[in-house]
Amino acid sequence: MNSKLSVNTMIDRFLPLVGLTLLVIVITAMNQQFLSPDNLLNLLRQVSINGLIAFGMTFVILTGGIDLSVGSILAFSSAMTALIITSGVDPMFAMLLGCLVGVLSGAVNGLLVTAGGMAPFIATLATMTIYRGATLVVTDGNPITGLGDSLMFQLFGKGYFFGIPVPAVTMAVTFVILYIILHKTVFGRETYAIGGNETAAALSGIKVNRRKIMIYALSGLMSALAGIILASRLDSAQPTAGETYELDAIAAVVLGGTSLMGGKGRIVGTLIGVLIIGVLNNGLNLIGVSSFYQQIIKGLVIVIAVLIDRKNK
Amino acid sequence: MIEMKNIHKAFGANKVLLGVDFELKDATVHALMGENGAGKSTLMKILSGVHTYDEGQIVRGGEDVNYTNLKEAEKAGVVFIHQELNIWPELTVLENLFIGNEYTRFGLLDMRLMRRKAEEIFERLKFRINLNRRAGDCSVGQQQMIEIAKALMMDAKVLIMDEPTAALTDSEIEVLFGIIGDLRKSGVSIVYISHRMEEISEISDEITVLRDGRSVMYKETASTDYNEIVRAMVGRDLDDQFPERDHDTDEETVLAVRNLGNKSHPVMDVNFELKRGEILGFAGLMGAGRTEVMRTLFGVDKGSKEVEIGGRSVKIDRPPDAIRHGLGFITENRKSEGLILDFSLVDNMTMPSMGSFSKGGFMKRKDEYDFADLMIRRMNIKSGRKSVASELSGGNQQKVVIGKWIGSQPEILILDEPTRGIDVGAKREIYHLINELTERGMSIILISSEMPEIIGLSDRVAVMQEGRLRGILERGKINQENIMTLATGGKLDE
Amino acid sequence: MKRLLLFLSLLVFAAGCSLEPPQWAQGGGSSGDDGNVVIGLSVSTLNNPFFVTLKDGLEAAAEEKGYEVKVVDAQDDSAKQVNDIADLMQQGIDYLVVNPTDSAAISSSVESANASDIPVITLDRSVESGEVATFIASDNVAGGEMGAQFIVDELGEGAKVAELEGVPGASATRERGEGFTNVAEESLDVVTSQTANFNRSEGLNVTQNILQANPDIEAIFAHNDEMALGALESAPDDVLVVGFDGSEDAINSVENGGLDATVAQQPDLMGETAVDTVEQLQNGESVEEEIKVELMLETQE
Repeated sequence: MNSKLSVNTMIDRFLPLVGLTLLVIVITAMNQQFLSPDNLLNLLRQVSINGLIAFGMTFVILTGGIDLSVGSILAFSSAMTALIITSGVDPMFAMLLGCLVGVLSGAVNGLLVTAGGMAPFIATLATMTIYRGATLVVTDGNPITGLGDSLMFQLFGKGYFFGIPVPAVTMAVTFVILYIILHKTVFGRETYAIGGNETAAALSGIKVNRRKIMIYALSGLMSALAGIILASRLDSAQPTAGETYELDAIAAVVLGGTSLMGGKGRIVGTLIGVLIIGVLNNGLNLIGVSSFYQQIIKGLVIVIAVLIDRKNK
Repeated sequence: MIEMKNIHKAFGANKVLLGVDFELKDATVHALMGENGAGKSTLMKILSGVHTYDEGQIVRGGEDVNYTNLKEAEKAGVVFIHQELNIWPELTVLENLFIGNEYTRFGLLDMRLMRRKAEEIFERLKFRINLNRRAGDCSVGQQQMIEIAKALMMDAKVLIMDEPTAALTDSEIEVLFGIIGDLRKSGVSIVYISHRMEEISEISDEITVLRDGRSVMYKETASTDYNEIVRAMVGRDLDDQFPERDHDTDEETVLAVRNLGNKSHPVMDVNFELKRGEILGFAGLMGAGRTEVMRTLFGVDKGSKEVEIGGRSVKIDRPPDAIRHGLGFITENRKSEGLILDFSLVDNMTMPSMGSFSKGGFMKRKDEYDFADLMIRRMNIKSGRKSVASELSGGNQQKVVIGKWIGSQPEILILDEPTRGIDVGAKREIYHLINELTERGMSIILISSEMPEIIGLSDRVAVMQEGRLRGILERGKINQENIMTLATGGKLDE
Repeated sequence: MKRLLLFLSLLVFAAGCSLEPPQWAQGGGSSGDDGNVVIGLSVSTLNNPFFVTLKDGLEAAAEEKGYEVKVVDAQDDSAKQVNDIADLMQQGIDYLVVNPTDSAAISSSVESANASDIPVITLDRSVESGEVATFIASDNVAGGEMGAQFIVDELGEGAKVAELEGVPGASATRERGEGFTNVAEESLDVVTSQTANFNRSEGLNVTQNILQANPDIEAIFAHNDEMALGALESAPDDVLVVGFDGSEDAINSVENGGLDATVAQQPDLMGETAVDTVEQLQNGESVEEEIKVELMLETQE
């Protein structure tokens, strides 16, 4: 019985990876350029934004929640960062403040869900439009430009660190930290416990509300980080940035095998999910598939992945 | 008459049934007994079409039958009322009765016809219920009646009931037994799965006992006795069910609760003290407020109370406060409140005490493993530390819950119905474990609805009725009559 | 010791940072010497008929010349456009034709194309930094003149006209206004010029106000079709209304006797012009820094 179980777990764990490998093989067969070092760096840079958001989303989904406001938080914190930079504050400090904006926006989500007792879907649906509106208010609906040529700020989105794009490095470092938090710390265990059975977790003395607020704040922080990278890459803060990014993040989490019911899933899976979506976007462009078909294919991949996953359970 | 012959069933490598014979005569109540994991549920799921057998034969009225799904079995009059009731809490009683089998007229629901049919059925059951009531607002007993009514509506010839009395009050049980008797008279066969020995001898005509996937005993109830049944179930003689209590409890008071009240539940003015190493039983009828008292004490439910622990007044607003002050709470619903079913055994066990199994926020995996292995050994849990909680048997699950609270090293452990739905062997192990804990100085509050358990284990017994504590019986006064007198609102004559 | 270590690690950290891609990963994609001309086209959105027509025009012209076109659609997301262009460059394009979602956001992409020696042509919207071979857009000044001339032709010299301006400071507002003024100063009586921010409902309100103050207005010239369609709602039938852009709504309105005229942009011509420019660059000819695409007056009749 035990051996059978572990075989199932193995399939569970490796299915996303097998999918990713197949995808890479197919795309490489159609355009060898895909595997060139140049394109792989390009790919890493492209996935980092969705990667960061999806990592935060993984925590939220593990508690059985969802965060629809990530795209709006991204835009809001990137706009705030840009405004602070253009007001003459040191860019490093401005970036820190931008992160703080993300943390606070996320904490508000957490408060609505816990103290407010709102369903996460509804709470973050509301804040999604609130934060988007706030972004439009502070930017007046126009992109904020003239972010200067501070090297640190430029490096953050456009630079290379020993040949690897800085956003990819940021994503990798964040991944390692979050992996350790999720699998090796009390915080991570509590995250799973809350998603697995909130009542039992509370009765076991876990401070459920406090944890949830922290987790939504973490999701906000990840979105802010993504927003700052984006601002650096685009040399501007776009008020409409990040629209529908929540969908790609949720898709990555689901592709990685994390259950939307909470309690089950792994952040490694999310990383693979992020890569699958990134490879699809990049690969389909390389093969020259029309953008209309690209959307269909992306949707189909999600459907197929979830179907296979369900069959396995 | 239905005969199941030499039934085999395996799930993957896990062989659950290894040749079971089961004979169900018409118009009889047939008790199906066995420890958890003996194969009772699997056998009945095969009969009711949920599973199919790998090997064997089912003969009904001289013909081979093999129901491959639930609907097919129901059409043939075989209906399974599960332990976890199939109730849609948001729908009315009437809607629940006909869900999936609605009567229609011109494509629209024929409410009048359905109402008439429902009234007929409840008439037959001699049971009064408001058909427009939200099913979720009905008591568990009433929900059980809805399920039975549903089964009768399907014109059931064979009714399988899995632990139907687990959540019923005594008066509801009486009504249920009356109905079972009537059904038998009208020719219905009933398979009755239960752990409650007294019920079995009261209502069953025949008994089949399963052990480890085999049928080991088939007798008329009248020609057997308690000891023979237990022997058949566990495969050996049981020495005394309850451990010998050495009645040397300390006089030191570890916990004093005063003026505990809870407005949202009918609980008020509860006062009691708990001594070191003592087992204080809490008896009372279903709904007397025993669980609510403990939930309020533990800070799960809001309420007013004054609590002293070790002589010092403490404030308990939330469960973490309670745990910090040395309380542990084993709740009555282990699946919904005690365990995280997707967690491994070890992860469940360290949940309330992650602080002591971590350093600087990082879990110390090896310490966790050592603790889990120790508990597995000491409590005779039949599974490894990495196995998932949902796959354990009820008894093993309960042991995990107990182990998890031992890990938090409480001074005071509250156990709410710790042996509900657990087989005889595991029960006995749990009793001994409780006794052992008190010997090490832990104080125990034990809520139980099983009279023998309360009487056999407790040093003193607090009896509740309608939200009030009606009295605490001292050693020597603890007996069934006294408890029932207080539990039903009577007074003891001194 | 500790301080030395810290200093050294900072040094290593600083040494690792760069804004340039690493040597080993450069120039992977551009393979321009196989004789086959490949144009990469990045469009801001294909959810708007204007840009679809532009894309179709470019593809048709390229096919005639035997050029290959690879199209990516940014779906109005600047970040996606930056990714799209990076992907295009991986495919070994020889020319990058881009219709930016935003002038600032796209700069880094243009710069990286510059670094790979891929000539960049922008369509309809310019970029803030980076080198561009040419910027192709409608000749808004000529369009403004065209609109004013139409009013002169219809109503004669000295007719009383109101001008509905676009968002103040926007290039379209400036250029269209400039062209209009060029003609109107001489031959029309411009009673008032007010902004309605390219917005239909503002166009309606502003026109109402203008007509209250100046009931004898004979014609209205709007800087875009939206404002013109708004003005149409409140203007009496005998007032001449002229729009700008040639949007679907406006052309329908013209055909149904609503608007009197619209100065139509020609996106297909814009696409064609881009391909012509590619041909010139391919032949080593020099091209203008800015190429103006003709407009066309759509009128009733």
